[in-house]
Amino acid sequence: MDHDVLPMPESTSMDTVTLRPFVLADLDAMMAWASDPVVTAFMTWGPYTSRDALLAFLRDTVLPHPWFRAVCLGGAVVGAVSVTPTDDRCRAELCVVLARAHWGKGVATAAPKRAVAAVFGDLDGVERVEALVDVDNAASQRALEKAGFTREAVLRSYCVVKGRLRDMVMYSFISTDPLVK
Amino acid sequence: MEQSSQETPRAVEVTLRPFELSDVDAMMVWASDPQVAAVCSWDAYESTEPLLAFIRDAVLPHPWYRAICLAGEDRPVGAVLMMPTGDLCRAEIGYHLARAHWGKGVATAAVKRTVAALFDEMEGLERVEALVDVANPASQRVLEKAGFTREAVLRKYCAIKGVVKDMVMFSFINTDPLVE
Repeated sequence: MDHDVLPMPESTSMDTVTLRPFVLADLDAMMAWASDPVVTAFMTWGPYTSRDALLAFLRDTVLPHPWFRAVCLGGAVVGAVSVTPTDDRCRAELCVVLARAHWGKGVATAAPKRAVAAVFGDLDGVERVEALVDVDNAASQRALEKAGFTREAVLRSYCVVKGRLRDMVMYSFISTDPLVK
Repeated sequence: MEQSSQETPRAVEVTLRPFELSDVDAMMVWASDPQVAAVCSWDAYESTEPLLAFIRDAVLPHPWYRAICLAGEDRPVGAVLMMPTGDLCRAEIGYHLARAHWGKGVATAAVKRTVAALFDEMEGLERVEALVDVANPASQRVLEKAGFTREAVLRKYCAIKGVVKDMVMFSFINTDPLVE
């Protein structure tokens, strides 16, 4: 399997954050964050209560996906990052999710950094990677900003998340933007 | 789109109605105009046969595609459409107008009517948005005059005729005041 390896300058952890494709054996690791209501609070999905339902998601959506990666820290799978093409070939959407035990360590910044370093080469025609973050999700906003994303706008009444109408912050990383070390 | 920023002395009245196949000749006026097509994803039509097919196959079955008519006239001078998104709370609009009617407030009037109609007709709709090329200030002014909020420039957002563009995102949400 391929590993995207870059050394982490932060002193908070000596472990390296790497990305690799998912395998079915990652199900239990995935369940750790996918079943956590705090992790999924800002997501349109979850929390998962059934291993079978998550297995179906892993098998039917994750494995065939054009760009879905496990976020690994020191060999353990601690989260996921995906870049999903949209109807417009030049534009794809990034999503990051991390197990709560690994919040606040720089992993949420490292994962999108690794993703944008690789994805423009991997996904033909993509020039823009964007991410939509809930206005109240300050931690995710900071992580993307530290990863070099540009905060473009607050999009008002953009979508409904868990029954509530939300304003979302739009972030983007363009293929010509400088990669953050 | 409108090219003049001159204020019109009195409000333009337009009506919106569904298209019919018999509108093909009226539609050909703007559909064959390279200046109208320049800012759109399609190429100017050179004959009515493919345009008739387009009306039949894309316009008539469309969830919300309306002819823009000047008040008291039945001949369309343009079109406005609603494009559903992945979410029921959010819809995108687009519009085009025959060049002879640019700069007169017609597109602005049509967009105002469209916003009012969509919030009235579409259950669960909270946000109407429109994307305009950064290089198309006339169309941006239409939306501003119709009461939309300019939210952002979205870089390298989409490709129009194979060229990736920066687009300005405009929105009108359910609680915004409708402009008379």
